Amino acid sequence: MELRPILSALMRSRVALVLLGLQIALTLAIVCNSLFIISERAALMERPSGMNEADTFILASIGFGADFNLKNAIADDLAMLRALPGVVAAAPINSLPMTNGGWSSGLSLTREQKTSSAYSAMYFSDDQALAAMGAQLIAGRLYRPEELGERTRKTAGWPPVIIITRALGHKLWPGQDPVGKTVWLDTEAEASTVIGVIDRLQAPWVHNEEVVEFATVLPEVINEGAFTRYIIRAAPGQRDAVMKAAEAKLAEINPSRIVREGKTLEKVRAEAYAGDRAMMIILGVVIASLLVITALGIVGMASFWVTLRTKQIGTRRALGATRGAILRYFLAENFVITSIGLLLGTALAYGFNVWLIRHYQTQAMPWYYVPVGCLSLWLLGQLAVLGPARRASRVPPAMATRSV
Amino acid sequence: MLKMHHLSKVYRTHLIETHALRDFSIHVKNGEFVAVTGPSGSGKTTFLNIAGLLEEFSGGEYFLDGVDVRGMNDAARSRLRNEKIGFIFQGFNLIPDLNLFDNVDVPLRYRGFNAAERRRRIEQALSRVGLSARMKHYPSELSGGQQQRVAIARALAGSPKILLADEPTGNLDTQMARGVMQLLEELHAEGATIIMVTHDPELAARAQRNVHVIDGQVVDIQAEPRLRSVGAPPLQSAQA
Ligand SMILES: Nc1ncnc2c1ncn2[C@@H]1O[C@H](COP(=O)(O)OP(=O)(O)O)[C@@H](O)[C@H]1O
Ligand SMILES: [Mg+2]
Repeated sequence: MELRPILSALMRSRVALVLLGLQIALTLAIVCNSLFIISERAALMERPSGMNEADTFILASIGFGADFNLKNAIADDLAMLRALPGVVAAAPINSLPMTNGGWSSGLSLTREQKTSSAYSAMYFSDDQALAAMGAQLIAGRLYRPEELGERTRKTAGWPPVIIITRALGHKLWPGQDPVGKTVWLDTEAEASTVIGVIDRLQAPWVHNEEVVEFATVLPEVINEGAFTRYIIRAAPGQRDAVMKAAEAKLAEINPSRIVREGKTLEKVRAEAYAGDRAMMIILGVVIASLLVITALGIVGMASFWVTLRTKQIGTRRALGATRGAILRYFLAENFVITSIGLLLGTALAYGFNVWLIRHYQTQAMPWYYVPVGCLSLWLLGQLAVLGPARRASRVPPAMATRSV
Repeated sequence: MLKMHHLSKVYRTHLIETHALRDFSIHVKNGEFVAVTGPSGSGKTTFLNIAGLLEEFSGGEYFLDGVDVRGMNDAARSRLRNEKIGFIFQGFNLIPDLNLFDNVDVPLRYRGFNAAERRRRIEQALSRVGLSARMKHYPSELSGGQQQRVAIARALAGSPKILLADEPTGNLDTQMARGVMQLLEELHAEGATIIMVTHDPELAARAQRNVHVIDGQVVDIQAEPRLRSVGAPPLQSAQA
């Protein structure tokens, strides 16, 4: 319709045009990037840990007193836990996915190399580890009882057999079956042979994109100090009851220790991603506020213009404009302003994304964010201006002669 | 061209009823130049607004160019207004944010003419009022007299059947008023039908016919065309 005269009329109130255009531009840029960051965080949070999180929990035991014997305590605890009704599997383990703390080690393909071929999380446990975590073995075999050992401060070298994740295997031997391959956890010691491959098991550091899928489960229980962590998987639906029973029983069978950290894996996950969730909420509030403020800005500006132009609207009516023509005029004017803002906003949105990529290692925003954002803001603008535009269309034609 | 029979207009507010027009009858023929005079508040603007389809009337009949306009919906009235009426206002009513070209363009766009036709009409209308050299100027860069000429060009551009002017010289000094009046006279000489509301007896006297309105009624129609030797102006007072 009459876009050219609308544009030239707008050029006469440039300050308002620039302010509203800038607001729309910033809204587009910030909303698109915020939504993208939210979707990235959501994707991060949705990655599976490789464990059965619904039925599983952890407990920690900290011994005290001169007569506390860690090795005996672990043996007693495991015997009790594994016999407890509702327990599917239980294992001692030093650390877990999503806990953000644990051991890592470099792995080398040859004894000679100076830098490691990959870094991996080291989970020290026993032959029940995978069953307790609910992790899936996709190749090779589990540990045999005779392969199990312990690790103390004095333990030299590394176990001759290890189980690794599929991702770690792929990193070390792309395209090959890792089972039977050897790798050095310490180039000064003996190599270890991969006997099993886990479909998926995250490292404890869920925000470290480079190592998060690299994990190794070792057949060694840590026998050092007085601290042990157990991972216990209950039968479906019995987790909470089993957790309560296990806590009570652990305290009961050995009074020279305290039982702590009774925590479901769901809670572990929630804690691991608490920062991400907070970020998503903050960005969500920012997006909502920006959209509301921009819509209110459009409503306010349009209302002001309708009031300012009451006589002009009456004149247009007197010259033959229908109510629909007046309505369309204000919708078209909003479309022009919004389009100018969105043009600038598109450049800003991509610029902002490039800046985020440089400084925060985010990914490139998928192409459809900005077009979808533009469509949404066009719609928002038209909806926001609809009220004032309808008020304008109801200005009576007699306003042309009756108002001063 | 314009025929009103026993027309009445009542304004109702929750407190009072104002009978702005009562038993108002008038017949304006094709090519006539009629001046409407009367005291302030007598109903002149009401008459012009109804004539120009800006307002509806309460009773009676009104035929515009043979069309019975009673009960027409808003869109049909807008279309009829756009085609048949050219409005000239006391305050010029130009759109300040549009240049002269775009101002004259406004009713032509509502008419739906194509771009070439609009351009032809705009240039013709602006040149008719002697302002074709200033098409890209804005109203604020013009004198009052020039602005009223642009408004006249805007009224003319759509080739209306009738020009309605409410105190067209009311905001102009004597000299500029004279120029605008002269333009209206020329247009009349070229065949335009004009109804002009004025409180200036001198201008009224230059019209072909005078209609005097008091209390919403036509009281005196001077049937003689070009009757210039009017004595003391009847019941005139200073008014806006
Ligand atoms: N919108 C309105 N509501 C109520 N009364 C009105 C309205 N417009 C005009 N009037 C009244 O109608 C009468 C005629 O007004 P108008 O036609 O403007 O007179 P004139 O143009 O001759 O000065 C006046 O008494 C005026 O107060
Ligand atoms: Mg009046």
